[in-house]
Amino acid sequence: MISITHFLIVSACIFSLGIYAILAKRNAIMILVGIELIINAAILNFVAFGRYDKIHYGGQVFALFAMVLAAAAVAVGLAIILNVYRHYRTINPDQITDLKD
Amino acid sequence: MLAATPHNTLLYAVIATVCLPLLAFIYQAVKGRSAQTGIPSITAIIGSLLLASYIAVQVWNQPPIHFQYSWFTLGENTFYIGILLNNLTALMLVLVPLIAVPVHIYSTAYMQGDAGIHRYWMYLSLFCFAMLGLLVVDNLLLMYIFWELVGFASYLLIGFWYTRESAVQANKKAFLINRIGDLGFLIGIAIIFSEFGTLDLHALFSENGLLSQMDNLSSTWLTAAGIAFFIGAMAKSAQFPLHVWLPDAMEGPTAVSSLIHAATMVAAGVFLLARIFPLFNEHALLVISIVGTLTACTAACFALAQYDIKKILAYSTISQLGYMMVGVGIGAYDTAIFHLLTHAFFKCLLFLAAGAVIHEMQHLKQHVQGDFDPQDLRNMGGLKRWMPKTAILMGLASLALAGFPLTSGFLSKDALIISTFEWASERGLVYQLIPALLILVSILTAFYSARLIFKAFFGEPRLPYFHGVEKHPVHEPGASMLWPMVFLGICCLFPLFSLNPFSSSHSWILSGLAVPHSFAAIHALHLLIPSMLVTGTVLSITLAWKWYAQDKYPLNAQSALMLAAEKQFYINEFNQRIWVNGILGIAKGAYWLDRHIVDGLVQLFAGCVQYISKVSSWVDTHIVDGLVNGLAALTYWLGNIFRQAQNGKIQSYFLAAFFTLFMGLLYLIFS
Repeated sequence: MISITHFLIVSACIFSLGIYAILAKRNAIMILVGIELIINAAILNFVAFGRYDKIHYGGQVFALFAMVLAAAAVAVGLAIILNVYRHYRTINPDQITDLKD
Repeated sequence: MLAATPHNTLLYAVIATVCLPLLAFIYQAVKGRSAQTGIPSITAIIGSLLLASYIAVQVWNQPPIHFQYSWFTLGENTFYIGILLNNLTALMLVLVPLIAVPVHIYSTAYMQGDAGIHRYWMYLSLFCFAMLGLLVVDNLLLMYIFWELVGFASYLLIGFWYTRESAVQANKKAFLINRIGDLGFLIGIAIIFSEFGTLDLHALFSENGLLSQMDNLSSTWLTAAGIAFFIGAMAKSAQFPLHVWLPDAMEGPTAVSSLIHAATMVAAGVFLLARIFPLFNEHALLVISIVGTLTACTAACFALAQYDIKKILAYSTISQLGYMMVGVGIGAYDTAIFHLLTHAFFKCLLFLAAGAVIHEMQHLKQHVQGDFDPQDLRNMGGLKRWMPKTAILMGLASLALAGFPLTSGFLSKDALIISTFEWASERGLVYQLIPALLILVSILTAFYSARLIFKAFFGEPRLPYFHGVEKHPVHEPGASMLWPMVFLGICCLFPLFSLNPFSSSHSWILSGLAVPHSFAAIHALHLLIPSMLVTGTVLSITLAWKWYAQDKYPLNAQSALMLAAEKQFYINEFNQRIWVNGILGIAKGAYWLDRHIVDGLVQLFAGCVQYISKVSSWVDTHIVDGLVNGLAALTYWLGNIFRQAQNGKIQSYFLAAFFTLFMGLLYLIFS
């Protein structure tokens, strides 16, 4: 039987993949994908833990909200990336170092 | 002290007499270069003369008049400022302006056109002020102040032509030699003050003064004080061996020389001795007599061999000052003052006449563009043809100097020599040497004054310029030079001093001073001595006539003895070698000591300090600064390391945040 532990393991794997993508990718869109992976890992956790709330389905409801939120965030993120690209003519985060002192 | 009211006019007169030349001095000092006429000086000195005459009439043969005001208090001793007038002061107070007035008038012509004439009048007034002040003051401290002022004014006047190297040397010499004398004076003052506690002349030396009451005073101290004061007088009055400054002082203008030699500078020493006469005991007086005799003899010998007309006169002054010192030394200071007075007139005249001759020789030198010394007797000769009046006046003064009858010099010199004989006859055979030497000196004096006159005015002119020149530049001096000389010439004759031309015993000066002599008068001498002197004088003048006027000079002028006499027996060279070089040697030694020992110590100390400071500097830079710098470097290094984190890459920021969160979680889980 598939226990909650399996869900959590899958979720942790996705989360780790998201972290890896954020840290290691040389493309801002891939970082955005990494962020989406992390959000999805969290949503998976919500859904998994939703089995302990069979009356209100709080987990599932929250997952829907989070998906909408993630879509909005992606839209905002893509807009930022577009503006960054216009400004710097690149979306490689290694080359955008204006935050340096 | 004494009530001053009845004598108030007299007091003001004295102050005015002294201060008139001072005012002239100040006025001319303020006016500076534009005060060239000398009228303030002449007016002041004539005013002084008139007031001094008034004072003399009031004071003469009266009891001494003493004004005194408190000056300042030092501990328990109050010092007074005051004036003491007696017959001695009155005489000198008239004499000084009486000599100074002709000299001033003479100077208007003699110094005409000199570039520094404004300084000349200034110094001359200062000189007169100092001498007049010296005469009237009533205590030794004030006297010392004026004594110094006299010395300083003479220093200025001797070095008047300060662009000449020799004049500068001469006034330096005069000043230094006078310092020796001043030291003696100062030591004398110190002894008097420590013994008596007062410097007041009246309190010390009057008839019932401190000195006559104190018989328990240590005679050693009294002798020491007497000799100290005498050293002061020796330098001022040019006594052997401190006379060396006076011949050199001839570098000053001739009119100044006449003033120095007649009334002001050299008279100060004799006046001092007369003023403090009761101080001298038997020993001090003997020293004074011996030094006086020695001075008279040596100076007369030096005068014989001189060629410079002014130097002959200088040595004759020294010689005559020796006479005066003997007069003081035998206790008959009245004869000394008498001789000082008569000497003042004829010596002043001699110098003024010599000045006239030099003036004309200088004119001749400029006229013919010649190169000769206008003061050298060897360049003169036959001048009486062109300057008969000067010749007569100078001859008259020389006769007075030689002590010829009918002149004033006869009276005073005879009085002095007779007193010396009387003094010596009460003592012993050895003491007879002093009057005998004085007679010899008197004959020598006649000889060298005759030599001067004959060489300068008689015979044939020795310079080629005198032959065949139509319009001769040598002529009689002008009226403003001649009349002062005529006046002094009249004063060289006997009537001014005694109505009897052959005896000084009735002279008003000697009776006015009324000095009680310690020896009995011997009347036989009053005939014997003058006749001896006159015979000697006539013989020596005749000899001089043969030798110099008729040019039958038998001696070798280049002999060693002559040269030695001309060079003052090498006393200057002796002074140079022993004193000057000795002191220079000591100074060099001291310099070496200073250079190598004192400076060496200081430098050693400085070196040590420098070394210590180097060590401390090393410690500072390397240890203290090293610590601070090390700390700073560490901070910098650390900062640099952490700076690396701020690389602007968003992913590394995220990594850091994630890592921190992750570690926090681990901590929460495992703690």
